[in-house]
Amino acid sequence: MIKRLFFTLFSMGIIGCWYGPAINTNYDFGKVGKINIHEVQDHSNLFGSGKMVQTSLSHNFLKYGFSVIESELGNVVVSVGSGDQSLELSCIITEFTDSEVIVVPYRHEDRGYTKTIVDQASEADAGNKKAETSSSTTTTTHGGAISQGSRVEYTRTRVGIMLKMRDTNSGNLVWSNSYWYSGLELHRTAETCVKNGIHQLRKLLQ
Amino acid sequence: MKYIPYLLLINIIFSAPDDPLVKALSAMKAGLYRDALSHVVEAQNMDQTNPEVFRLKALLHEALDEENEALIAWKSCLTYSKNKLLKEEATVHIKSLTRE
Repeated sequence: MIKRLFFTLFSMGIIGCWYGPAINTNYDFGKVGKINIHEVQDHSNLFGSGKMVQTSLSHNFLKYGFSVIESELGNVVVSVGSGDQSLELSCIITEFTDSEVIVVPYRHEDRGYTKTIVDQASEADAGNKKAETSSSTTTTTHGGAISQGSRVEYTRTRVGIMLKMRDTNSGNLVWSNSYWYSGLELHRTAETCVKNGIHQLRKLLQ
Repeated sequence: MKYIPYLLLINIIFSAPDDPLVKALSAMKAGLYRDALSHVVEAQNMDQTNPEVFRLKALLHEALDEENEALIAWKSCLTYSKNKLLKEEATVHIKSLTRE
């Protein structure tokens, strides 16, 4: 029992580290003053996906209370503090699927039913001053049936991104992580995927 | 010729999908997520441990902005699933929905 508990905790720790961000522990994020967001390239699956993700990046920074400056040329700068260092944020779209087929195998269960018939008859004999009542009950139970092996299909969307930040002066990579999300609508899925990334970045910069 | 209306009527009666999941997916295709969800709940009652049904239910709740209900469905999906990828997907969604 203890062995199993230890194994579970150990596995969860490994998985947690594996999916966590890669951070340069020597870098002082408190000295960061601004983040320059690089242009996001389109994924081969969909023209315009880069613009969609880049807009979502700016939108989420703004939503989390950062000041966002967007130049006419399309460069985006996020003010994160009063520090003198700056970071370059680049985003690569690793997945942009709008129609992944999901198969749902299911079993259909007919739970059956119970039918009860009650027959009642009463008879009165005025001459003998007697009254008779007879009653009969019939119960029929149908067991139902389970049919298995049917399947239906639907499509869902899946968006994956990889974010990385490097120090502008030294060129050192200071942070990187990847995210993915699934959903029924592409724009919402992309939005949530980016939101998860920015949420983690915000915690780093606080 | 005079039997054609009767044949059409029989066709309409017997071609209507009876299965709740089939109905749910038809509603989803039409963008009627609320209706789809009611059919998925019906399907869930018939097959209470199917993780795929829970995934579909969770995705519909998310599309309808019902985060708490989606979270419950993803947790059930995680409980009943034996598929590694599905478990991973449920974990990603649970983390995202429980984010502060």
